[in-house]
Amino acid sequence: MSEVMNRARRRLLAAGAGMAGLATVSRVARGQGATVDLPIVNGKRNVAAYPEKRPLIVLTSRPPQLETPFEVFNDGVITPNDAFFVRYHNAGIPTSIDPDKYVIKIGGNAAGKPYALGLADLRTQFKPVELVAVNQCSGNSRGLFAPRVTGGQLTNGAMGNARWVGVPLKDVLAKAELKNSAKQVTFNGLDTAIFNGGDFVKALDVNQALDPDVMIAYQMNGADIPMLNGFPVKLVVPGYYGTYWVKHLSEIEVIDSVYDGFWMRPAYRIPDNDCACVEPGTAPASTRPIGRFNVRSFITSLSDGAKLRAGQQVIVRGIAFDGGQGIREVAYSTDGGRTWREAKLGDDLGRYSFREFTFPFTPEKGAYEVCVRAWNRSGQSQPMEALWQPAGYMRNVVERIGVTAG
Amino acid sequence: MNRSTMIAIAASALAASGACLAATKTITLPPDGAQLKASALPGYAKAQQSCVVCHSAEYMLYQPPTAPRAYWDAMVKRMKVVFNAPIDDADMPAIVDYLVKTYGNEQPK
Repeated sequence: MSEVMNRARRRLLAAGAGMAGLATVSRVARGQGATVDLPIVNGKRNVAAYPEKRPLIVLTSRPPQLETPFEVFNDGVITPNDAFFVRYHNAGIPTSIDPDKYVIKIGGNAAGKPYALGLADLRTQFKPVELVAVNQCSGNSRGLFAPRVTGGQLTNGAMGNARWVGVPLKDVLAKAELKNSAKQVTFNGLDTAIFNGGDFVKALDVNQALDPDVMIAYQMNGADIPMLNGFPVKLVVPGYYGTYWVKHLSEIEVIDSVYDGFWMRPAYRIPDNDCACVEPGTAPASTRPIGRFNVRSFITSLSDGAKLRAGQQVIVRGIAFDGGQGIREVAYSTDGGRTWREAKLGDDLGRYSFREFTFPFTPEKGAYEVCVRAWNRSGQSQPMEALWQPAGYMRNVVERIGVTAG
Repeated sequence: MNRSTMIAIAASALAASGACLAATKTITLPPDGAQLKASALPGYAKAQQSCVVCHSAEYMLYQPPTAPRAYWDAMVKRMKVVFNAPIDDADMPAIVDYLVKTYGNEQPK
């Protein structure tokens, strides 16, 4: 126990030293009782260790919503289970689950043969698949919107990249013999709303649900999925925002209509236009459900306000990802975006994964604004100026950090 | 991390190494990390009855201080209409007033 806490303590202290200007730990007291100052107005947060988690930034304690401290993303392109962000919607969350008794019910009015699937059958009756995929909260970075928007005030830590093992959803659905009338598939988990209103249920169009990469995952980074990330099974929808990655998946319904529960409409909607954006402060004329990630890239090895030694080369490192095309190129600028050069891409872990990039930087004495910008294989990229929408989803502006060399 | 959490994790780790699928996994969540800010406004006591039954106070505490009355009004209505929160219609104006004056853009300067 003391070793765990000491490790957490070192991490927090390292965070405070290395992330000056981005996040400064003001007090560390054996995990609980620590705080962090996020770089936004009203950004002071508790830092606490939840079950199976190292100390993380607490957005809300009940139900738990936990943000990953950003320095974790510089430790490697796979995000450890104990550092992976947590996002629940309702406070009726399961705290005790017996996997031997766990059942997923598959039915709905467009399923010809409804059935119930236990975990042992899930693991043995279907051919497992494995892929590395980013899970990112729709509202990741919401706290950085200008003008500010209401909702969960996250900075950039509501994302993570893991190796998932599970079975393709399409194989599980095939056994239920979908009718021609099937239009959508809905997903419910064991978490409940305390007064029976607003249960967290999500829906995918049937063609998306049949995508071979969508899986019912039972393993995360070679281990059981942590309870707070959806033990024992979680829907993994690679390239799509985390709102569709239903935790403790227990009920799948194939239906002949468009599901319109609260969490599909009006929640989790974006402006129905090409940029998914509107003029700041205005409301969209029409909306659609949020879908795939846009392109993002982050420097992880340097933070805003970092101090470097003049004349000494550093290898700057970061991560880029998109909604499933895969990253084709990352460019970097050390002069605020006036001139750009190409960064070197790291190992390719698949088109849904974080992609590492690196570039050398030898600053002379002075101040620098360092930016990175990624392109995916469809040529989509990131805007130089932030786009805006009232719900605070999908932020993907080119990130800029100021560093000085002396 | 408290003692029962550590035990639960240890139990599940043991089960994972065994022959059976896994043992029951049990966690114990820590207490709320924030409480509603005390206030002389009449909505404070009502918010304690109606709001924090379902969720902790960070939901209010961490909103941007620019959040206007219309936001707090919409949220209180949503909690009742969508989530069936036990809020009397007669109490809503006082709760909204407490929220916007304590966490929103009507906070005293």
